[in-house]
Amino acid sequence: MWFVTQRKLLLTLAIGVVGSCVLLIAVLGLPFGIDFTGGSLTEVVYEERPEQGSVAVLLDQQGLGAYSLRETGVVQGEEGFIIRTRDLSEAERTAVSAAVVSIGVGGEVTRFTSVGPVIGAELKDKATWAIALVSLIIVLYVAYAFAGVSYPVGSWTYGGITIVALIHDVIIPTAAMALLGYFTGVEIDVLFVMALLAVLGYSVNDTIVVFDRVRENLMQYRTEKKTQVINVDGLEREESSYTLTKPFAEIVGMSIDQTLVRSLNTSATTLVALIALYIFGGSTTEIFALILMIGVIAGTYSSICVANPLLVYIAERNVLKSTPEKIS
Amino acid sequence: MERDTSITTTKSSHLMQRFQATIAAALIILAVFFVYANATGENSRFPFKLGLDLAGGSHLVYEADMTDIDPLEIDALMDVLREVIEVRVNKLGVEENVVYTEKSSIVAETPSYRLIVELPGVTDVSAAVAEIGRTPLLEFKLLDQNVLNTSNTLDGVSVTTSTSSETSSVDISDIAIESSAVAIEPFIDTGLTGRYLESATLEFTSGQGGQIANEPIVSIVFNDEGGRLFETITRQNTGERLAIFLDGELMSSPRINEPISGGRAVISGGFTPDEARELAQNLNFGALPVPIALASTQTIGASLGSDLLEHGITAGVYGLAFISFFMLVWYRVYGVVAIVSLLGYISIMLVLFMLIPVTLTAAGLAGFVLSLGMAVDANVLVFERLKEELRAGKKSKAAAAMGFSRAWSAIRDGNITSILSAVVLFWFGTSIVKGFALVFGLGVIVSMFSAVVITRTLLQTLPDIDLGVPSRFRKFYQIGFNKK
Repeated sequence: MWFVTQRKLLLTLAIGVVGSCVLLIAVLGLPFGIDFTGGSLTEVVYEERPEQGSVAVLLDQQGLGAYSLRETGVVQGEEGFIIRTRDLSEAERTAVSAAVVSIGVGGEVTRFTSVGPVIGAELKDKATWAIALVSLIIVLYVAYAFAGVSYPVGSWTYGGITIVALIHDVIIPTAAMALLGYFTGVEIDVLFVMALLAVLGYSVNDTIVVFDRVRENLMQYRTEKKTQVINVDGLEREESSYTLTKPFAEIVGMSIDQTLVRSLNTSATTLVALIALYIFGGSTTEIFALILMIGVIAGTYSSICVANPLLVYIAERNVLKSTPEKIS
Repeated sequence: MERDTSITTTKSSHLMQRFQATIAAALIILAVFFVYANATGENSRFPFKLGLDLAGGSHLVYEADMTDIDPLEIDALMDVLREVIEVRVNKLGVEENVVYTEKSSIVAETPSYRLIVELPGVTDVSAAVAEIGRTPLLEFKLLDQNVLNTSNTLDGVSVTTSTSSETSSVDISDIAIESSAVAIEPFIDTGLTGRYLESATLEFTSGQGGQIANEPIVSIVFNDEGGRLFETITRQNTGERLAIFLDGELMSSPRINEPISGGRAVISGGFTPDEARELAQNLNFGALPVPIALASTQTIGASLGSDLLEHGITAGVYGLAFISFFMLVWYRVYGVVAIVSLLGYISIMLVLFMLIPVTLTAAGLAGFVLSLGMAVDANVLVFERLKEELRAGKKSKAAAAMGFSRAWSAIRDGNITSILSAVVLFWFGTSIVKGFALVFGLGVIVSMFSAVVITRTLLQTLPDIDLGVPSRFRKFYQIGFNKK
């Protein structure tokens, strides 16, 4: 019940969090990597890593324009550099890899990626469209699945709130990414988009499970009254109106309590899987796992502390509009 | 009497449930065996298909220039392009190379067409890029007289064509136009390109009819379709000049004196014998129908790839262990059910990875590890519902059945939205995203299946006990730490 009675506080908190996340993203900017901006990435590994300065001198001679040079690897024999440059031509690539390989003992280029600016821009478009389309489909489906319980809030409201929760859940990891990018120089790659999409799926699933319980309890605690209405064209039809036998806020509060353990347990199992991925999964998927962990926590939090308080808040305003009495 | 029947029904349904449970268990064991045999076998029919980032190798993306090409022709041209490049790539001797074409997504402002070359195990792309770069681009274009009249570049160039040879080839003895003329673009595409090429041979001019003797030329033969096209072009444009471009450079522009049938033409342009021989060779391996440019490359070293794979598997094993521990502590006997169900999920997924086959990438593996955590969700939902029914005083079996039917709507709605998301992702994505979407979508469907089939069957097979009365089983069934 606490989650419902404290709804004003929780909603204010959520608005504050989302607001500061937006601000954070706006101020720090998102560190889009070469997958999106186009450019080249060369990873070189040595048995013994040479001085960063000497590599920089070598790169300066290549006339590559602005580039970034970052140390990678902590294990002896896996240490090296990641060099980010503009989109390199084949000749430039050969020159750069020859240069960096020659400078250290056992130098080897383990990874080279070059993305043309067109492909990068297209990926950005695709990611935006995919997220938008997935959101749209979710609203439609949720509105459809909750069509049976349109009192005291319309079934579209459930869909709408699912999206609000979703925005909350996506914006928090994105802000975390902006922070990570600012402080550690990590860049956004395709994996980040996948992590966001997975968060999106998780968030919706979690919100729906609580709403499902609300739906079930609503059906249990309502009485139906059927009235005959005569249409303008003279046809008679039946109209059902419902009265709740329990205040809506209480029904929602009860539903949260009933699904609380499940919500926490599912996020716990998902989190332990992600922790395993973070610790043992290697550097490639480290950020992916971290972003997902943040997203899963945000998703669990929002399904309990954002979606349902918002549901009660909207129901209350609906009822206030039609009747002066409060429902809780 | 009535009592007797009820007992027999319970007994027979109990037998039935045992039977189902045995079959479910047998299927899981079979799946595990299948995965094990295929993953460890030397020449298994269904090995795991590893993506380039795990196996190590190179991924090249070429962009095809389709400006001024009839949109209806594009698909056919891309097919020709793929075939030509495939021949080239096969020359490199890389096993299991893949060449495919891809169209940019429908949301892109201008559609672009790409050719993707995947070379497992190749970490030095120089050789591959060079080999593919050797593919000549051959185009035949008509000179636009209107444009030509305004420029005097061609003044004084005399063209003689000889039709004395039986093959009625366009014999070329003219002079290549200055490159400044190209800038005005006085050329009209004819649609006749290297795509219609059948073969090319090195020849030397005979020196008849005022030709320079022994000049190396490349004689080309068109295929049937190309021959017909060539005839049509020469018939309709008799008296005009036909320009021959190689890799975007004008080689020669002989005058068409008469319609030419038989589908033969000659490329000349002041070659040295070696140049002409190489060109003939390269043309024989196929010529590009449209210009292509390297748009992106990606190379992953083999050691980095195997490292990623190892990390991914380790993460999966630990993830499974952590989840199992959690479920066991929290749900006891039901936790065991969830673990068996999760093992079923994993083995079914692995079998599907092998059979479909799903190309495994680092992203796909990460998605799979994530899905382990989410796959037990259906179990958690059922067990929580079951716990409520047990508290309400139901016997364990009835509680399980009830818990299942009550949890179903949540499982269904939650998973359908996930499946819809996966479909959108698959539809939109590039190959990497597609792989992830496939793993994600399959994961959702299979986890639903394992919850419905495995978890339910096992729950029905467990002995039916009444948790209201003291029993030695009770503490194993007691789920959750909080009793109400």
